Amino acid sequence: MITVLKPGPLMSIQDIGRTGFRHLGVAQSGAIDSNAMIIANRLLNNADNDAVIEITLGLAQLKFECDTVIALIGTDMKAHLDETAIYPGWTYTVKKGQTIRFAAARNGFRAYLACKGGIQCEKVMNSRSTDLAAGFGGSTGYALKEHDTLAIEPFTEHWPKLGAFLPAKREVIRIHPSIHQDLLTQSVIKQFCAQTWHVTTQSNRMGVRLSNQSQPLSHSHSLPSLAVSPGSIQLPPSGEPIVLLNDGQTTGGYPLLGTVIAADLPQFAQLKPGDSIRFEYVDSATANNAQAKLDAHFAQLAIALKDAAC
Amino acid sequence: MDLKKTASVEILSSNSLFLDATHLTEDTLTTQKKIWALVTKCKASNAFIDIVPAMNSLCMYLHNSNELEHWQNELTNWWQDVDELKHQGTHHNIITHYGGNYGPDLDFVAKSHDLTTDEVIQLHSNTQYQVLFLGFQPGFVYLHGLTEQLHTPRRNTPRTKVPKGSVAIGAEQTGIYPADSPGGWHIIGHTDFNLFNHLSEPPSVIQPGDTLTFVSAEALS
Repeated sequence: MITVLKPGPLMSIQDIGRTGFRHLGVAQSGAIDSNAMIIANRLLNNADNDAVIEITLGLAQLKFECDTVIALIGTDMKAHLDETAIYPGWTYTVKKGQTIRFAAARNGFRAYLACKGGIQCEKVMNSRSTDLAAGFGGSTGYALKEHDTLAIEPFTEHWPKLGAFLPAKREVIRIHPSIHQDLLTQSVIKQFCAQTWHVTTQSNRMGVRLSNQSQPLSHSHSLPSLAVSPGSIQLPPSGEPIVLLNDGQTTGGYPLLGTVIAADLPQFAQLKPGDSIRFEYVDSATANNAQAKLDAHFAQLAIALKDAAC
Repeated sequence: MDLKKTASVEILSSNSLFLDATHLTEDTLTTQKKIWALVTKCKASNAFIDIVPAMNSLCMYLHNSNELEHWQNELTNWWQDVDELKHQGTHHNIITHYGGNYGPDLDFVAKSHDLTTDEVIQLHSNTQYQVLFLGFQPGFVYLHGLTEQLHTPRRNTPRTKVPKGSVAIGAEQTGIYPADSPGGWHIIGHTDFNLFNHLSEPPSVIQPGDTLTFVSAEALS
């Protein structure tokens, strides 16, 4: 068992997310950085989809009530296991009674903590992810609070010290073309990519809101509601784009500037208010190559971990 | 091919397609019935992770991105053959308590249309609504069929909390709040009908393509 001593600004239980229910208005939820989540699980020989803890910004503290092994991936939050500094990308053996403490992230925004065997909680609609808006999933349906307890299976055997890298950070996010380019006009599409955007403070797990003082892409179009999903880039009349993330709603009436390619979407996990970001449109071959490169990264990791286990 | 008569199927991403029928000249309900019939056909194929109808459009999320072009063609062809009468939804009766504490805005809605509250209840409950699609939050249904006589602009100031089960009117739409949430629609009644329960299978009894009627609880007793 794990006890939450301090949850920080937002800490929640997530797996890969909920699928098959979008037509009922159910959001995907799930780890924003699915790569980090999967790597953390693989370092522990967990199933890829085992539930992990997503930590936002840091300033959190957890106490382990049993022996286990953990893997920590994502941004560096200057974590300490009792008094010993620990680093993202590695596994650590944890003894009953130890606490893990996170200071504040400086370069990124989110970190993922996996425990051997995964966080145990009931699946809701095939997923252990917490749907923060609707109040179900995870262990309580909500963000973790002080005194919450999370069930894990004790693990007392030896576990090798293993480490892994996350796929490299990108300066320019690659996106699929807009289905609304005729409506929005080529000039708007061009401006969107020509400019550097800033992440605003109204960003959360539902979406990242972007602003740009110089030339907002304001418009007066309103569309019949269409289905949207994580990666959809909405352009509200204000001209300030929103990149929808895992907790985003299922339908919306704003024109779309495009869709973030699947390989680049996890990058949004590390964007915090004030960060800047740029976009480029790519063709489907480029998107497929990016995915193949990511798949290769995971295939290499699988081989390396197999060797390490021998 | 007459572009006014056919839907376009566009690529949204490596694994998602967007069928757009918003530009068709036929009425929106006829188009939407074709969308539902297409949903039924898509479900049977087991090729999709999620099939999400919205207003005269449909998004399909594929299991296998290698099949993207195949399905882009297939869906374009399917649209030509699909029969809007082939979809049979379920009908739901929504027992509704109108007015008083249950519907604090019923008087306002009546006054703004020069109607009595009984007339508002009559107009609202004597209609069979079509469930166009769900969205906004789990279990929230977008309904077609609110009589123009009851179209009421949204409240100037949205309420910070609209209780679960509130039956409300917002502009040209009427709907039911599946959970406590902020909202700017006029609350005219309340139902105990549970729109969404994450522990049920399926979690939402009402599906796109179903029909429903609001039944006045007072009229029943």
